[in-house]
Amino acid sequence: MATAGGEVTCVDFWANGFGMRARIALRELGVAFRYVEEDLRSGDRSELVRRMNPVHRSIPILIHGGRPVCGSVNILEYVDETWGNDGGPRLLPRDPLQRAHARFWADFVDQKVFSTQTRFLKSKGAEKEAAKEELLDQLRRLEEVLGDKTFLAGDEFGFLDAVLIPFSSMFHGYEQHGGFSLETECPSLMRWVRRCKERDSVKSVLPDEDEMYELHKKWYGISE
Amino acid sequence: MSSPVKVICALGSPYSHSVEAALCLKGVPYELIREELSNKSELLLKHNPVHKKVPVLLHGDHAVCESLVIVEYVDEAFDGPPLMPTDPYDRAMARFWADFMQNKLLELFWLAHWTEGEVQKRFAKEAKENLTLLEVQLRGKRFFGGDTVGYIDIACCVLAPWLSVLEEVTGVIVVDESEYPALRQWEKEYNSYDALKPCLPDRDQLVAYFTENKERYKMFANA
Repeated sequence: MATAGGEVTCVDFWANGFGMRARIALRELGVAFRYVEEDLRSGDRSELVRRMNPVHRSIPILIHGGRPVCGSVNILEYVDETWGNDGGPRLLPRDPLQRAHARFWADFVDQKVFSTQTRFLKSKGAEKEAAKEELLDQLRRLEEVLGDKTFLAGDEFGFLDAVLIPFSSMFHGYEQHGGFSLETECPSLMRWVRRCKERDSVKSVLPDEDEMYELHKKWYGISE
Repeated sequence: MSSPVKVICALGSPYSHSVEAALCLKGVPYELIREELSNKSELLLKHNPVHKKVPVLLHGDHAVCESLVIVEYVDEAFDGPPLMPTDPYDRAMARFWADFMQNKLLELFWLAHWTEGEVQKRFAKEAKENLTLLEVQLRGKRFFGGDTVGYIDIACCVLAPWLSVLEEVTGVIVVDESEYPALRQWEKEYNSYDALKPCLPDRDQLVAYFTENKERYKMFANA
């Protein structure tokens, strides 16, 4: 389908939540792309990653017509601007205020939720308890953003849904690690997760939750 | 007729300045509401309950928070010269470098001025490595986006009005003129840009503010 301006490649790792955003967005907008796997379990980054993202050496990287776009939220905006304008599906709304709200909450997920969930997974005892409460608070805030809507910004799956849904692949992990049930703590968010998972784009990208938790247990040295 | 625009800001904040810069460049009139960060107002807490930080843009009944989100909002909601490039790839590059400045370089740059001894040397080394990346981006250009101040320049504003102030107050030099000639020239261009004149912070006021708060900044940096 749509590949205006040259071949599209996405360099990513199957368990990278940030990269899942990019791959979901590309599928949502029907963009054919080549997937190149970078194994994050090895210490060194490949020559491709070092060449395409010399500043951060991180993934995901979108390569379009030979030119790299780095940073998951940046990639979402680029994908929307390049392929989302032709009368088909788009990720961000047109209204500037709604766009600002979507960007604000995406920044909240990156600034707050990501660091809290990492701290929660890595810590023990009182620190873990505190991080758990903070994480639940943040998820409840996102539930408030959802409100009565089908998706985070309205009736259509979009930018903010793509930003947050990859985290759901670790929800089972959070529950195991923290001894709580997200169905109890955040029921409407969980209904949103199920709605998102009905979409081909999300279904085909989100990894198995047990595999995600096993990998993160190794990464973070979680023993129990 | 457009709804009134107000900016909840704080003296000394480069983030607050970025919002003012965006509004000035678009030619949007606005009112400043100055916040005392040690005693946050009901207005701020109401409009930014999530982060409780400045800047906050109030446009009629609506609030927008987070400085770069606000800058893009101002660019999209108001007519006037564009702050972002039009080509999607150039826009992606602009967002990349703004994110680099705000999420990687800014803290290193700040700490490199406020810390001391071995700690300072470490931060200065890291800051310089990252400053070099910006220096390369700037070479041969007046501003990051070309001939006019744009999104990346606004995101990098701490390297303009604040740079010489920090050097004066702390006595530390990190952005050496001989090593970063393009950045120091960019600093002069930014500080003398006509369209920014209404919102450039008063240098004496900045010096007084940072001198008065020097111990507090050093304490935070060394924590």
